[in-house]
Amino acid sequence: MIDNMSTQMRVIVATVLSLIVFIGYDYLFMPKVSPRTFDANSSTQVTGRDAVSSTPSTAAPAAPAADASQHIEKREAAPVSEGGLERVIATVETSNMTMEFDALGRISQVYLKDRQYRDEEGEELKLFNTPKIPKPLEIRFSDPALNELAFKTPYTVSVSSVELNGSKKRLTFRQDLDGFIVEKEIDIFPDHHYEATVRLSEPRPFYISPGVRPDLRVDGYTVHGAMVEEADGTLTIIEDGDAKGTEAFRKARIAVAFDRYYATAFYDFDKGLNVVVNKDAEENPVLFINGESGRVIHGYIGPKEHKILQAIHPELTKIIEFGWFTFIAAPMFKVLLWLHGYIPNWGWTIVALTFLIRIILYPLTYKGMVSMYKLKELAPKIKEIQAKYKGDPQKMNAHMMELYKKHKANPLGGCLPMLLQIPVFFAIYRVLLNAIELKGAEWILWIDDLSVMDPYYVLPILMGASMWAHQMVTPNNFTDPMQEKIFKWLPVIFTFFFVTFPAGLVLYWLTNNIFSIAQQLLINKMLEKNKKAE
Amino acid sequence: MIRSVLSGFLKVYQRFFTLLGYGSCRYYPTCSEYAKWQLETNPNLFKALFMSILRILRCNQLFVGGIDYPKISANPSKDARFCDRPCTVRYWYVPDSRKKRWNVIKNIFSKGRS
Repeated sequence: MIDNMSTQMRVIVATVLSLIVFIGYDYLFMPKVSPRTFDANSSTQVTGRDAVSSTPSTAAPAAPAADASQHIEKREAAPVSEGGLERVIATVETSNMTMEFDALGRISQVYLKDRQYRDEEGEELKLFNTPKIPKPLEIRFSDPALNELAFKTPYTVSVSSVELNGSKKRLTFRQDLDGFIVEKEIDIFPDHHYEATVRLSEPRPFYISPGVRPDLRVDGYTVHGAMVEEADGTLTIIEDGDAKGTEAFRKARIAVAFDRYYATAFYDFDKGLNVVVNKDAEENPVLFINGESGRVIHGYIGPKEHKILQAIHPELTKIIEFGWFTFIAAPMFKVLLWLHGYIPNWGWTIVALTFLIRIILYPLTYKGMVSMYKLKELAPKIKEIQAKYKGDPQKMNAHMMELYKKHKANPLGGCLPMLLQIPVFFAIYRVLLNAIELKGAEWILWIDDLSVMDPYYVLPILMGASMWAHQMVTPNNFTDPMQEKIFKWLPVIFTFFFVTFPAGLVLYWLTNNIFSIAQQLLINKMLEKNKKAE
Repeated sequence: MIRSVLSGFLKVYQRFFTLLGYGSCRYYPTCSEYAKWQLETNPNLFKALFMSILRILRCNQLFVGGIDYPKISANPSKDARFCDRPCTVRYWYVPDSRKKRWNVIKNIFSKGRS
């Protein structure tokens, strides 16, 4: 067989074969890690690299100070921050989180208390697992000397422990820099948002950061980095590793740093924020906003959960971001949330969504079925053509098409509906990957978290099986044996492909296949009836 | 150059990706084949792309489907090449009802390269 193939063909076959070997090897021999342990691994790696290659700079973003002095400053700043200034001086408890502030008046840690945000051992998840800076609410002065001093001088705090029950509570941090007074007033609200006001005893230019992104859920499937919503509503996403240098945005509405599920953000929908995006040693974006003494800064730190964000400000839901396909994904996410309002189980909600999409496409399917009925009268002619052009599929096709056109009956769906399915699939893919609502959401039996892969590989295998079954019931006439072979292997390739996907996504694909099979069986039945009527 | 790259993409598509939605085209030639013919014959590349996109948009249940050859405007006396030995015909240009417009039909009996 191989001898008869063209060079081009051989290259392609070789590529596919080697891919299969790689995937197979990965599947059989690589240690299987659950996504969470993977997260932990990657974050420790990051820590290691951090410690070796770079001590993070504490310089103000737009201060183009000579590089050399900045380096000296770094070395000086690092040991200082290790020695005592990172100690927790204030703790805030709300019903769903614990927030810690360090001696530099920054949010140093956030623990999430809700059940879905706990790990397997029931431990509360921490949003920040690396010592990267800037931390949320970190202030940097443009004046290098002042800045250096500010990073060496601890703040004092009005109360060291606050518990919120229902209403907001205020913390006041105060720093005395040789008579220059920095005051940070922070109102914490029970729903993950806060309002901070910085007051300086005399005006000095400074920057304040919403912090580096949370690093709890970082993976290769989803986007992580920073995003700025500009004054005109344009969303600019700067992915980790893609930060170009200093970029400025005037009157931005939102500045957010995020991982797959969690975010830390500043927002102002009235007056806007002057945002500066810097890059760190790994070319990850680092956000700052231009500080203004006495002005209230609105901040959010926590999960990207639609319900919480909607309650704070409807516009804030924009931080749930779906990439290129937002225009389809965002409405789809709304539909998913709406369905979930009636169906408490997320697994069944996904099934319902699949069903809904099928119903919307039904009119087109129905038209196809009506064509099938019309074909009844044409059956003898079709047979005639098939007999006449046996062994010449191209000519047979041409004549069949001629016949369909003449009688205005066409059993095929068409390329447009097929191509339209591709963006819809990508949209669903993004929605199911990014929706934190699926985290810890159970379906039935063994599926107790739709946001991670099926631990027993049952769903992907069922998915492959359903795909194979769909092929079995769909009539096809291949002219190329090679093509036919690949077609037969597609379910296997897809099974491997879907193995590591979140269970929710595999569930969508499986349900979709089952509906396709049901539909095809219905069509087949009609065709059979036609034959009998003959 | 661009034409052959695009044509190459279409060939790859026809071999592999079309498998995902196998046999769904309502037309002869299929949309991908139509695009290939357009790319290979239409003297105006943008027109070729535009016509191919229109064809895909037409390929749904709201249209009847059936035989639909690419139509191009070309001046065959200029485009035609004379061969001094027996040459293979790759495309037949069949005059359309409109002047200077041609239906392009690929010679599927041709033994030459396709």
